[in-house]
Amino acid sequence: MTSYRLPKGGLVDRKTPLSFTFDGKRMIGLEGDSVASALLANGQLLMGRSFKYHRPRGVLTAGSAEPNALMTIGEGGRTEPNTRAPMQELYQGLVARSQNRWPSLDFDIGSLNSLLSPFLGAGFYYKTFMWPAAFWEKLYEPFIRRAAGLGKASYETDPDHYEKCWAHCDLLVVGSGATGLAAALTAGRAGARVILVDEHARIGGGLLAETALIGGVAAPDFVASALAELASLPNVELLSRTTAFGWYDGNVFGAVERVQKHVRAPLPNVPVERLWRIVAKQALLATGAEERPLTFGGNDIPGVMMAGAMRSYLNTYGVAPGKSVAIFTTNDSGYALARDLEKAGVALAAIIDSRAEGAAPGVYSGTARVITGAYVSDAHGGKALASISVFKGGKTETLSVDALAMSGGFNPIIHLACQRGERPTWSDENGAFIVPDQRKGLTLAGSVATTNGLAACLEAGAAKAAALLGDLGFAAQASSFGTVEGDIVPAAAKPVWSIPGIKGKAFIDYQNDVHRKDIGLAVREGYGHVELAKRYTTNGMATDQGKLSNVNAIGLLAEARGISPGAVGTTTFRPFYTPVSFGALAGTSHGKHFQPVRQSPLHNWAKKNGAQFVETGLWYRSSWFPRAGEKTWRESVDREVKNIRINAGLCDVSMLGKIEITGTDAAEFINRVYSNAFLKLPVGKARYGLMLREDGFIYDDGTTSRLEENRFFMTTTTAYAAGVMNHLEFCTQALWPELDVRLASVTDQWAQMAIAGPKSRLILQTIVDEDISNDAFPFLGAKEVSLFGGQLQGRLFRISFSGELAYELAVPAGYGESVADALMEAGKEHGICAYGVEALGVLRIEKGHVTHNEINGTVVPGDLGFGKMVSAAKADFVGKHMLSREGLNDPNRAQLVGVAPLDPATTFRSGSHILEKGAAATLENDQGYISSSCYSPHVGSTIGLALVKRGASRHGEEVLVWNGIRNEYTPARLCDPVFFDPANEKLKV
Amino acid sequence: MSALKSAFKIEHRAALGDKKSSSFMGVSLEVLPEGHVLHALSRSADGGLSGAIRTALGISEIAVRFVSPGQWFIVGDAALSAAELGAMTQKLGALGIDTVDQSHGRVRIGLSGEKATRALNKGTAADLSLAAFPVGHATTTLIGHIGAHVTRTGEQSFELMVLRGFAESLWDELCEMCAEFA
Repeated sequence: MTSYRLPKGGLVDRKTPLSFTFDGKRMIGLEGDSVASALLANGQLLMGRSFKYHRPRGVLTAGSAEPNALMTIGEGGRTEPNTRAPMQELYQGLVARSQNRWPSLDFDIGSLNSLLSPFLGAGFYYKTFMWPAAFWEKLYEPFIRRAAGLGKASYETDPDHYEKCWAHCDLLVVGSGATGLAAALTAGRAGARVILVDEHARIGGGLLAETALIGGVAAPDFVASALAELASLPNVELLSRTTAFGWYDGNVFGAVERVQKHVRAPLPNVPVERLWRIVAKQALLATGAEERPLTFGGNDIPGVMMAGAMRSYLNTYGVAPGKSVAIFTTNDSGYALARDLEKAGVALAAIIDSRAEGAAPGVYSGTARVITGAYVSDAHGGKALASISVFKGGKTETLSVDALAMSGGFNPIIHLACQRGERPTWSDENGAFIVPDQRKGLTLAGSVATTNGLAACLEAGAAKAAALLGDLGFAAQASSFGTVEGDIVPAAAKPVWSIPGIKGKAFIDYQNDVHRKDIGLAVREGYGHVELAKRYTTNGMATDQGKLSNVNAIGLLAEARGISPGAVGTTTFRPFYTPVSFGALAGTSHGKHFQPVRQSPLHNWAKKNGAQFVETGLWYRSSWFPRAGEKTWRESVDREVKNIRINAGLCDVSMLGKIEITGTDAAEFINRVYSNAFLKLPVGKARYGLMLREDGFIYDDGTTSRLEENRFFMTTTTAYAAGVMNHLEFCTQALWPELDVRLASVTDQWAQMAIAGPKSRLILQTIVDEDISNDAFPFLGAKEVSLFGGQLQGRLFRISFSGELAYELAVPAGYGESVADALMEAGKEHGICAYGVEALGVLRIEKGHVTHNEINGTVVPGDLGFGKMVSAAKADFVGKHMLSREGLNDPNRAQLVGVAPLDPATTFRSGSHILEKGAAATLENDQGYISSSCYSPHVGSTIGLALVKRGASRHGEEVLVWNGIRNEYTPARLCDPVFFDPANEKLKV
Repeated sequence: MSALKSAFKIEHRAALGDKKSSSFMGVSLEVLPEGHVLHALSRSADGGLSGAIRTALGISEIAVRFVSPGQWFIVGDAALSAAELGAMTQKLGALGIDTVDQSHGRVRIGLSGEKATRALNKGTAADLSLAAFPVGHATTTLIGHIGAHVTRTGEQSFELMVLRGFAESLWDELCEMCAEFA
């Protein structure tokens, strides 16, 4: 294998050789190499196989637009497919593998697809694989997936970690070429907070491949001194290896920093990638321009490369592209490469210039043959370039070359500026899509704004930065950097879309194998609109998102349709600019940290009592408390339920939402947010409240107690705690700002436990200092109590969800566990048990109490038998007016009803539907559905609550419960939803 | 009966009882005492009230922290007796301020050191530069997925106040955010 490394030159460290493998073959690169430059230096031109036709491909670019040289880097859990070789820094021991080939890169069976290519043109899948549908899953898709694909993801766990962070700055500069550096220096010197990001490993952008002098020093040396100055400024942050991928609302930029993707063994405590959210007062886009490929036959053969990329490999990495090189250009930039190649001693066979007049005077003084008014119509070779056909004036000449550079002009990299809905316009003058420089927060400078040449870019970067900082109140002086010598300033290229004389396949989208003829076909078949052509041909739909191909495709569409590229327009620009790993997007939110855990102050109490936990939102609630010998959850739940109705039980209800409401208008406020009356609730009393939405449907329910004249304690359901708080804040701030109301969420302040069962008073009285007999503290009492002989103050509520004599005791959270321990100790002789939400559910279904199973956003108070809780006397409350709508008073509405199976040995499930007896099991015959169900040890069978058409007036009716998913049918009877103690005798003893 | 009641010794269990204050290179995490956090609620959004609160209670500047218009947290390391709480409530009442005790509902964590802002900005979108977030400034923000109240208590020190239920999760998250400085 020939070495293409030049004896000197480049920014690589020749004293630090790095060993790596490519497809198992051991190679040596240098510190400072990219994988692409190292492979080229080793003479490895063939780097991958194309997506559809499996054509041999080499590296085309030296940057992130690379469509060809995609490879899999790393091993095991660190395997990373589809890595762009020019963007991957070389490190000692790097393992690279080519993709999309079998059995090997050199001999790939899939390349037979090329022979089928007449059948694989645009729209091929749509036309061929239309029917029968079953063939898709069984035949077509597996075949396509095997034949056409990218690298394979690893099945192993990624051992590394990722993180996200925020940053703020006065000026964000995206891109660190001449423009970006000048801007950053200007802003940094003015004392502004500056963040400079660049996607490459080295700061410097195009300057790193530049041979011109700036202020008398070589461009890379200018970069080094600029970098040293910026690094010395505490107000400047330099982020290399960082891609700004998106521009979002609030002038927030998304950027991903590849912190440790360039090392073999990442430090375990440092993230491998970091996702930045950068909030910028102003941003300057100095992203430069992407060189446009030229669409000639065989333009994808390894050895054909972008002219700018060839210049990078030559000047930055010290790698020669070949032994005999040709340049095909439409503009003067190709001559800068010609000059550098000759200086490096690389044989330059010819410069083919599409312009009849050739280069501007004085641009080129070299010795190579210049063929003007000519085109490269075809490149020839298999896995490496062997020759090119030069077409001029109807005649074709063949030149033997092993490398060909192409430059079809430049596309400003305007992506970020267009991500928030802006569309670029076509400029004939610049031969490019451009965006005007007039949006808020984001300004363009340098070649992205069609400024050409180093001197002009330095000046533009400095001037724009100074102007932006001036607007922010900084006294910024535009920096100047001395004279630029030896720069070739190319005038804008006149685009060349169609090249005459082509014989071979001329690719537009390299990654998706879309070629010139596909565009013509799309137009002929009626898919000429840019968005349709994109989908029809898949042009621009690969992981490179058409960075090289989109504008060429638009140019060819324009020609085929006989309109200007501007009239064709572009497709939509969206984040991300380049692919971002899922790891970076997930950050630390995975595994244990996937979501935070919200712990009840009684969590440890529940744990030591053996609770089985269930996740409810972020809370972990105790479900049931198994005891020795209990084999199923039902055994535990049945025991808990029975014990509560005979003795007593203690349940953690700390996760209920709790809101303290104060202010002189607190009572009036609560009266307006609940549908039932609250204004005259006496101090020391609790009341059940029903909260409606504006549209009249029930939003939430809970009990609210009046602790003082102007102090209320509201509870909400666990699920709607935050929602109710938001709703109340909206009501105070927007609906009734004239009311004196103050709200504080106190959910976490209180450990709250329900003590339910006939013996609950007995047990509680052992710790409560005050008399809590039925006379002293009747049903719905609410008051502050002294506990344990004055050791503690708590709040006691006589409320019940179980239908038993019951209380809820709230104590400051830090004491919760200790108080619960004391109650369990005191209750031991009375048979107290801990119970969880399962038993809670059974107890409430037995009593016909509703939860959000029933309050599901479709019910109004009347549906649940709460008609009396809608105050007719109140002037207004939230939901009052909409509640009178006809549909909400329709007698056929679903209403709450109980359901029990005819045969107690049979059962049914929640979600099952209700059919009239004898009716066919069809949706048309649906009468409603079971909203809650459980086994009731007191009834001795399954029982359920259901929302059934006219349910309240159908008690006693025989129905069929139908579960269409599991094909279950259970004859049952509708009944009163209160299954236990309908007279509420147990409640008020 | 009363003897039985006083026989139970009621213990306080700290929300971060299992956690140990930890130091990393350039940043330290500290479990702060569960002293007192009083939620002061005024009808008036007048910012001058924070000064009046300080004067009325005779407390330091950093002890009164802005929450939202008309709301402040009054924070201290000492736990309050019922009598002390009552006295403070009364003094605040004279300023037209209602007091809600949040001493158990909020847990405080200290974060300090030269890397403190760097670590904290992994979680919060707030601009933590000294100019935008001076000493004494406080804001309610998200740290990752967890809502928290952040106060700058010194040039390089912050106090985070979090709902008790999230305290352990936030602590673990902060340790992860600081891990790279280990």
